[in-house]
Order: sequence, then structure tokens, then C-alpha cells
Amino acid sequence: MKTDHLIDALARNVEPAEKSRWGGKLAITIVAGLGIAALLVAIGLGVRPDIGAARMPVMMKAMFAAFAAAVMLPLVVQLMKPGRPLGWRIGAILVFMGICAVATIIALMGEMPERRWEAWMGGRGSAPWCVVLIPILAAPCAALFTWLMRAFAPTQLTLTGAAIGAVSGGIAAMAYAMYCPTDSVAFVATWYAVAIGVCAALGALLGSKILRW
Amino acid sequence: MADEAHLKALVLRGLAGDEAAHRAFLTEAAALLRAYFRNRLRGAREDAEDLVQETLVALHTRRDSYDPNYPLTAWMYAIARYRLIDFLRRAKHRAHADIDGIEIGEADPDYEASDARRDVATLLDQLPEKQRRAIQLVKLEEKSVREATLETGYTESDIKISIHRGLKTLMKLMGQEQPT
Repeated sequence: MKTDHLIDALARNVEPAEKSRWGGKLAITIVAGLGIAALLVAIGLGVRPDIGAARMPVMMKAMFAAFAAAVMLPLVVQLMKPGRPLGWRIGAILVFMGICAVATIIALMGEMPERRWEAWMGGRGSAPWCVVLIPILAAPCAALFTWLMRAFAPTQLTLTGAAIGAVSGGIAAMAYAMYCPTDSVAFVATWYAVAIGVCAALGALLGSKILRW
Repeated sequence: MADEAHLKALVLRGLAGDEAAHRAFLTEAAALLRAYFRNRLRGAREDAEDLVQETLVALHTRRDSYDPNYPLTAWMYAIARYRLIDFLRRAKHRAHADIDGIEIGEADPDYEASDARRDVATLLDQLPEKQRRAIQLVKLEEKSVREATLETGYTESDIKISIHRGLKTLMKLMGQEQPT
């Protein structure tokens, strides 16, 4: 088929284009992703037994995670449609990472030197399991986001994959806060951020394969 | 010659359902894309024409992805670049593909269209029956959507959805097909 014929065929009987209602779809994706992650925590990990007494730290951690997701979200939205500059949306993420680093350092400075390692690692003999668990909880949410994005036209697939991964990681971390037994600021600011980074890295690796259109 | 404001006006009118404006946009876009791809795929005119066609289908099926707050040409070339990268990735998997010697040259949209390597019409045969017939009748045989409903028994929205889905599937097939 000659290109001229193709153009004729494409243009013939063209309809008014439908408005892309991305706002509602995005909201549904986020709520569903959070719901699934919360369900997985409740079933698979169990809510921490002292959730009543620990309401405040759990809320704080969930808010931290929500803030992380909110910082990444503008990038996802901007990447939905081709040819839009990313600008401050990348900058916001870098600033957020800086805040996490500063918060960790300040919190550790406040600890006695011999207790710093424990505060950072989440207690004696403990390890930051969230680095593994948050990416697992984020997977269903990331799948929903992938499905959402494929309805649009992302053209930078690796970056889009990373952004989707990071937002999903943030959303999963909100749910994970119900389980997570460690409340130290240094722990959360470091390992939640690292867990979200792992999600972003996995998203970047998979992006160019699963987001193709 | 085509410029940003002119092309943008055509696209916006096309989005509102203006067939002539949409055709004019695709025609001018094809010339710009031809220059873009030929400059980057030196000596592979048929591949360039394949990419022109792929990108035109992408611009058409994803035209709702244009955000009027940003430049039209940025949108168009972002999609063109995406198709090019996708093509080069595919080419890497083809043993005989020559992807060396790709360089950026002067843009000259006055190239003549050369033949494409693949024939889009044959790809139509791979579509599901309903999508194939809808595209065949409305897009190739110049029938109205109304006439197509009479001929097939499908409803009007059925026909429209089938065309839209069919074109998206077609673009996917264009991306998968491995020329031998």
C-alpha cells in the first residue's frame, strides 16, 4: 500500500476524537493498587499486633510513603502523553531524595553513637525486609499502572517504567506501614526510600518490554 | 511549508472531526517524517517508508494523546522517535539488518515517497474478521459508517470501535512483522 493511500484510508470518515479522561482512571488505579496492597499485607503479613498503641507512628510512616508516591506521580502523568517536557518533575524527586538523606543523618546524629547502627537497621539482629517486601506488594499496583499507561502513549519506556515502579512502591509502602514493626525515622527514611528505588529499578528494566505499543 | 502553528491548527480541527484538516495534517506529517527517517536511516528508503507509515498510523490512532498545551511538533517527533527506536531494537534482532551509518542530516521534506518494504494491505488479513471488515468497508471502500452497518449488520458504534481497535492492532502488527 502506498503511503498516500494509507493517508486517505486513515482520514476517511474520521470521527471527533474522544477526550482522554485520565484523571478518573488514574484515581481508580491508585485506589485499587492501594487496596490490593493492603489486602496482601492483611492476609500475607498480618497487621502488627500493637496497631492500636502504635497508631501515630503507623500514620506517620503511611504519610511518608504517600508523600513519596505524590512526589513521583506528576512524572507518571507527564509521561502519559508524548512530547511534554519533564522539567521540575524530575527535580522534585531529587529534592525528595535529598530530604530523605538529610532526615536520616539528623535522626542518626540524635542517637548515641553505639546505638546508631541498630537505629538504622531497625533493631538488634534485624534487617530491612521492606526492601524485598515492598516491591512484592507493589507488583499488582504496577501491573494496574502498566495497563493504564498502555491506554495512553508513553514514548520513553524505560523512564516511564521507572516512574510507574516508584509510584507503585510508594503506594505499596503505605500499606506496608500497617505491618512494619520498626518506627525509627532513620530506618524509614532510608529503607522505604531504597525499597521505592528498587521498585523504580525493576520498572526501568521491564518498561521497554511491557509498555510497548 | 509546514510550520508549528499551521500543523497544530490542522490537528485541532482534525480532533474535532474535520476530515479534510486531518488528511492535510497526515499529508504534511508524512513529508516531514520521510525526511526525518531518511536522514536517520541512510540508504534504507524502504525501511524509512515503513516507518513513515507506522508513525502515521500511530499519530492517527493515538491522536487523542496530543496535549494542546504543548507544541504539536514535539508530540509528533516524540512518537516518530519512539517508532524509530522500536525499529532499531527490532533490527538488532535481525541478523542481516544494517544499523550502522545512521546519522543526522539536513531535513528536506521534499522527498518523493518511495515504496514501503511491507504492504499494509496484506497485514489487514491478519486482523480479526470484524475489525478487518470494518476497516475494509469504511476506510478502503469509501463507504459511510451507515452503509457499513447495513452491509454487516453490526451497530454503528460496533463499526467505529472495530475500526479503532483494528488500526491499533494493525500498528502492533507493523511493529512485529519481520521482513525477510
